[in-house]
Amino acid sequence: MRNAKGATPMEETRGPAGVPGPVGTAPVRGVPPAPEGGSADRPGRPPGITVRDVVFGYPDRPVLRGVDLRVAPGELTALIGMNGCGKSTLLRVIAGLLRPERGSVSLGDDDLMGMSRREAARRVALLHQSAPPVPGMTVRQLVRQGRYAARGPLGMLRGGDDAAVTRALADTGVTEWAERPVDSLSGGERQRVRLALALARDTRILLLDEPTTYLDLHHQLEVLGTVVRLRRERDLTVVMVLHDLGHAARFAERIVALRDGRVVADGPPGEVVTPRLLAEVLDVVGRVSVDPVGGWPVCHPDHPLNH
Amino acid sequence: MSSDTVVPTPAGRRAGRSPRLPAPRSPLPRLVLLLLVVLAVAVADVLAGRAVTPAGVWEVLLGGGDALDRHVVLNLRVPRMLVALVAGACLAVAGLLLQSALRNPLAGPEVTGVTPGAVLGAVVATGFGLADRQSPLAVVVAACLGGLFGAGLLWVLTGRRRDDPTETAVHGVLVSAVLGGLTAMVLLVAPGELGSVVQWLIGTTEGRVWQHWNLLWPWALCWGVAAWLLAGPLTLLRCGEDQAAEAGLDTARARGAALVCAVALAAGAVSTVGALGFVGLLVPHLALALFGADLRITVPGAALAGAAVVGGADALAQVGGRGLAVLWDADRLTLPVGALTTALGAVLLLVVVRRSPARDF
Repeated sequence: MRNAKGATPMEETRGPAGVPGPVGTAPVRGVPPAPEGGSADRPGRPPGITVRDVVFGYPDRPVLRGVDLRVAPGELTALIGMNGCGKSTLLRVIAGLLRPERGSVSLGDDDLMGMSRREAARRVALLHQSAPPVPGMTVRQLVRQGRYAARGPLGMLRGGDDAAVTRALADTGVTEWAERPVDSLSGGERQRVRLALALARDTRILLLDEPTTYLDLHHQLEVLGTVVRLRRERDLTVVMVLHDLGHAARFAERIVALRDGRVVADGPPGEVVTPRLLAEVLDVVGRVSVDPVGGWPVCHPDHPLNH
Repeated sequence: MSSDTVVPTPAGRRAGRSPRLPAPRSPLPRLVLLLLVVLAVAVADVLAGRAVTPAGVWEVLLGGGDALDRHVVLNLRVPRMLVALVAGACLAVAGLLLQSALRNPLAGPEVTGVTPGAVLGAVVATGFGLADRQSPLAVVVAACLGGLFGAGLLWVLTGRRRDDPTETAVHGVLVSAVLGGLTAMVLLVAPGELGSVVQWLIGTTEGRVWQHWNLLWPWALCWGVAAWLLAGPLTLLRCGEDQAAEAGLDTARARGAALVCAVALAAGAVSTVGALGFVGLLVPHLALALFGADLRITVPGAALAGAAVVGGADALAQVGGRGLAVLWDADRLTLPVGALTTALGAVLLLVVVRRSPARDF
């Protein structure tokens, strides 16, 4: 794809690296509808996300206790928090997979609550935490499944790939594996394929649930770098759940911290990532410094906080 | 690799590469090959009978032969062969639908209550005089209701844990045993029709004539096409409940449609040839190994594989029956094809389970 060629090493991080001081103040998110990017065929800004007072829970366990969140069009937001704080649940609510008991979610101007499953799936794609691959299913076959929402049950019977599939394979660098079975790939390779599956949906909103889990550092950076690049090239609104606060501070423009089903901190990494955040959100005692080259906050966790 | 001035860049190194998209492997040669196997099996099945020699069969097919030979070949052997092929196709597709819809490699009409339920339905209808072999449509309807009852029983019993393959498998065996017990009770209460009922328990193609064929093929065609139309949603469903829902599929509806389709196909087969063991459980594995995970290809592939397996088993059963007859000097001894598929299937199941000990579906 032509847009894959534009990314040079410097461009990847030009925003954060070029601006002194905290990363969050860098005007990265104001990226104009990139003339060199791949989104020339998709005019207009991607929709933002508005979550209003969302409450969700299971009979014995409340999970979200009134979450309010506005994600601006084209923003790259990281959700952080401890296990069980409701990060993944919030993503699933935004994807329309869980119906909140109270509150509402809008994608752009459209109310998610009024949409059918397929309608919602045409607007927002969610990369799940890993699921076991289907034996024998090839990369191309799996990524093609991402076209279900656009094609419909009978449309899937037609042969051939959509341009969106070819583009998703190319954008994640998995084109040459198209005919390999997914279960023969390594963990890092699979994650790229799963990212391709989410991209094949051709939505303007991309949600990622712990995209780096189980990956080694090399593949973590690879996946996150790809997300950053694609966000820019395709002009996407991205929300991702990250466990690694360091990754969140480096790659996201905005960090939203959840604790016990509520938003407890929200802002650019340079403002939000503080020793207080470590203590209050992650129950960790530690220090925060600034990366001498990139300018983003770097965490130095010391030990778990005992109450 | 990083220096003081250059910020390290993840994923940048891959950016310039743009390899060519490899062409997908065409399944057509494999489909054609399997079709040829089915044709060969069909010929073998017609030739394999006892009363007419292969030369006689050939003569009849060319338009000659005496009246008795013509009757045996055209009114007994050909419909029997056709029924065997289509029933095999039905069971295999039903098994594939069940395994995909339930995401369970151990699902099959035999072990999810569908086939035992269909047998119970057929036996009840026959035993209480609601239907007999002269009114096959009533048997099909009864088998369908029974199959739905069996599957419904499993549905209720597994409750909220029905996404767990092991749970479904365990309860499926339980439901099948209960339904088998009920069938036995019906046989005790109404033993009058016992002779014709045993064939449903084992599965046999003996005495299947054009009447059965005329009923079976439109039914199989109709539900077979329905099964193929579900290929898109079912392929997606095989990727997992979460993944399928996330991609925009109404999973409950897709699964329900697939189950109805599977029950109808299995009931059609059961009402004409009875409970042929292991076909619906094992042939889908063969089809998936041959044709891969894209059900657009694998559904027709499973139909062909099922036809080849049951047609072949029927030919073998006839040859074997002839051998047994010679051995025991018993002229009327026949080997039911269901006995053969069950015996062979048990061996194959062991192979499947051992070959892939940790295989997650």
